Amino acid sequence: MKDIFTKISSNKELKIGVIFLIMLILIAVFAPHIANYDPYVLNDDIIAKPSSKYIFGTDGLGRDVFSMVIYGSRTSLKIGVLAAAISSVIGTLIGGIAGYIGGTVDKIISEIINMFLMLPTFFLILIVVAIYGGSLKNIIIVIGLTSWTGTARLMRAQAMSLRERTFIKSAITIGESNKEILFKHIIPNGIFPIIADSTMAVSSAILSEAGLSFIGIGDPNVVSWGKIIAHGRGYLTNGWWICTFGGIAIIFTVLAFYLIGEGINNLLNPKSSRLN
Amino acid sequence: MALLEIQNLNITYKTDKKEIRAVKDFSLNIDTKDSIGIVGESGSGKSTLAMGILKLLPKGTTKTTGKILFDGVDLLELTEEEFRKLRWKDISVVFQKSMNSLSPVHKIGFQMKDIYRVHEPDARDEEVRKRILELFRFVNLSDRVYNLYPHELSGGMMQRVSIALSLIYYPKLLILDEATTALDVVTQGQILDEIMKLEEALDLTRIMITHDISVVASSCKKVVVMYGGCLLESGYVYDVLVNPKHPYTQGLLNSFPDFIGEKKDLRGIPGSIPDLSLEYKSCIFTNRCKKAKSICFEKIPKIKTFPNEWNVACHLLGGFDGE
Amino acid sequence: MKKYIWKKVLTGILTIVLSFCFTFFLIRCAPGNPIKVLAGTDNPNPELIEHLTTKYGLDKPISVQFINYLKNVLKGDFGYSYISNESVTKLIKERMFPTILLTLTSSILSLVLGTFFGVYAARKVGTGIDKFMCGLSYIIDATPGFWLGMILILIFASTFKILPTSGMYDIREDYQGIYKALDVIKHMILPCITLCIIQIPLYFRMARSSVLQIMSEDFILTLRATGMKENRIFNKYILRNAIIPTITMFSLSLAFTISGVALIEIVFAWPGMGRLIMDAIKNRDYPLLTGIYLMISISICIVMIITDIVYALMDPRIRYE
Repeated sequence: MKDIFTKISSNKELKIGVIFLIMLILIAVFAPHIANYDPYVLNDDIIAKPSSKYIFGTDGLGRDVFSMVIYGSRTSLKIGVLAAAISSVIGTLIGGIAGYIGGTVDKIISEIINMFLMLPTFFLILIVVAIYGGSLKNIIIVIGLTSWTGTARLMRAQAMSLRERTFIKSAITIGESNKEILFKHIIPNGIFPIIADSTMAVSSAILSEAGLSFIGIGDPNVVSWGKIIAHGRGYLTNGWWICTFGGIAIIFTVLAFYLIGEGINNLLNPKSSRLN
Repeated sequence: MALLEIQNLNITYKTDKKEIRAVKDFSLNIDTKDSIGIVGESGSGKSTLAMGILKLLPKGTTKTTGKILFDGVDLLELTEEEFRKLRWKDISVVFQKSMNSLSPVHKIGFQMKDIYRVHEPDARDEEVRKRILELFRFVNLSDRVYNLYPHELSGGMMQRVSIALSLIYYPKLLILDEATTALDVVTQGQILDEIMKLEEALDLTRIMITHDISVVASSCKKVVVMYGGCLLESGYVYDVLVNPKHPYTQGLLNSFPDFIGEKKDLRGIPGSIPDLSLEYKSCIFTNRCKKAKSICFEKIPKIKTFPNEWNVACHLLGGFDGE
Repeated sequence: MKKYIWKKVLTGILTIVLSFCFTFFLIRCAPGNPIKVLAGTDNPNPELIEHLTTKYGLDKPISVQFINYLKNVLKGDFGYSYISNESVTKLIKERMFPTILLTLTSSILSLVLGTFFGVYAARKVGTGIDKFMCGLSYIIDATPGFWLGMILILIFASTFKILPTSGMYDIREDYQGIYKALDVIKHMILPCITLCIIQIPLYFRMARSSVLQIMSEDFILTLRATGMKENRIFNKYILRNAIIPTITMFSLSLAFTISGVALIEIVFAWPGMGRLIMDAIKNRDYPLLTGIYLMISISICIVMIITDIVYALMDPRIRYE
């Protein structure tokens, strides 16, 4: 535990990212205590400027923007983390199988990965959500199911290099089954770059959700930063504060996950940190 | 007459936390038409030495002191622009990873021509081409290589291209840094033979950096044994490699199969290379030396000269330093 | 080379087929009844049901439907918009030009500028300016493009009132010829700047890391040892080698760019595909939506194949495989 702590503090990116993330989690957990208004309640003051009463002002319906931004962290974190978890599990499995088994299986899976890379993923997510409805659950599942290709490519490369290592060869010789080798050796030994990649996936899931909400097909029942921004678009000339703070919240959150991913990558691969 | 005189050369790599002294107090004379092999384990500083002579070490992170006299001129005193005029014309090099020694997206002929024009900017196309093809013949390459890309050649062929390239101005000094290490034994033998023939024809002086003693034995006149950045023993191949005086050289020879005589036990030298970020006040090899005596732990040995330009840095020879 | 290109073309075709399957099954597997989806309303009247059933052959087995759909797409018939009852192909054609104009202009500008900055940072690696540029590229990556667009509108249009914020032409004027072009350029400035800011970090990082990687290659050492001047080594050898991965980046980022463009178009009311998508979603015009998706997929595949060929032409290691 202490070891993990010193590792984290030794890397600047990781340190800042983790501090940001802890702040975010605290904000999300204690949202009801931090927010001074119910984000759904329409106050009497419409398009009120930021003031001591409304820290970030109010929107066109009189909702308190500060409270909405605070509650929005819950939506973003939930979507980001869960979608990234789905895509990482799928990507790890598919990539692990392709890289470890190799041969025809690998060829087919690689081809599928190449095809997915050419697809405009955001539009696919958009169509599915438009047709099937934009509940939080749908959005999470769709983002998760469409963004596993990066992880799969990474895991495939990991598995391919691990496959050549002596300890895997001896495991094969001893007669361990493919399934055992995959889950006991290949995946655990190749998982660290995947973790770094997953934190990046959280970032892109959060950005995708913001885009969907901006178009107007996010979950209508929750507060979301994308939705706040979309709402603010109608008040650009007389209410700059409505869209501004939601965007800053997105940048802050996405940056936190980017930094953590970058930090882990740098720890794993000191040489690349010099290059990047 | 000495073509290259290295005097008290020190090369230090500086990182945030420590300084690594890769070459320590190194002195060596190389005469015109010598062929000298520098052997040592990886980490012995032999490649750093080569890069130091070529002034190719990164400037910010390394410090070089001492003197490198080439034809009487101290290379370390020259400005980059002055030295640039000597590069390749007088001193050229062949690196280990020959596959990567040329740009992968330019044709070989194009690159060689471009390099020829570095010092001969007015050379006519036909003239340059003729010279390159002549060099190709020297190293047994067909003319067709001129129009190929590096990735279309095998390792051995690329190594021949690199050698041809290094000879493009008929330099005075040629440094081969592990130039044949990555090749199979047959190709290695052929290339070594070609190099020796070229040497005769072109009056080359050659420094051969390798960890393979058999390469030195079969292609060099003299040998330098390096360890931990220090020169431990140098002299003629038929002296040093036949009756080594330094315990390290003896150990090194025991770890190679004999190239003339009968089968004998192969032995490695126990222990590992020294940590060069530490300051050593004793003989650098002491910790692994089976013959070490108490003095070996206390003082850095001076270099003792024996007849026939045979230099050895060891306390155990010729009495105790005569102090 | 031939084999390489064929492989790329094949992947492209397979991708289009995959997109095609997605759109087909997405509508057929929609919750409830595909008719509801195709009609765009939860309570279609009986005539509409009748009409749609015969039109899309919904009473026939799914395999027949699939083949019919495929046949239509091959003929260039992507279906009909439920709202305007016009062919999807025609609707898209009307909106295609503004989108292509915006995408290409911003992508090429970003490619040039991003590569330039990346090369510059690589030459100054480790210095303050390099670190600043890298940090900035991360912050921009974390910024949603549509939000950035709105902030630029706030700054340049609302506060300074210097640039138009919406549309492609000034609808109050009737410019002709060169004036019309200038008007379009004026309207393009803000959306283009937004898209460039969003895309530059991609090229910046790619160019920077590939220049640094090439600079550490052995052949650079050889060239230095020959006494070739640093500038010449850089301009002739490092750049030529480092530019190749940037070209792949251009095609790989295209799928990403298109979605960015769509959102930016909505922000700036640019009359392109983004608006069309937004309208289609609002009106629940699913045939139009899937048609757009297919068209975009096909365009991306074509551009990717072209870039791959350019890439192969630039890199002899692939050309001669």
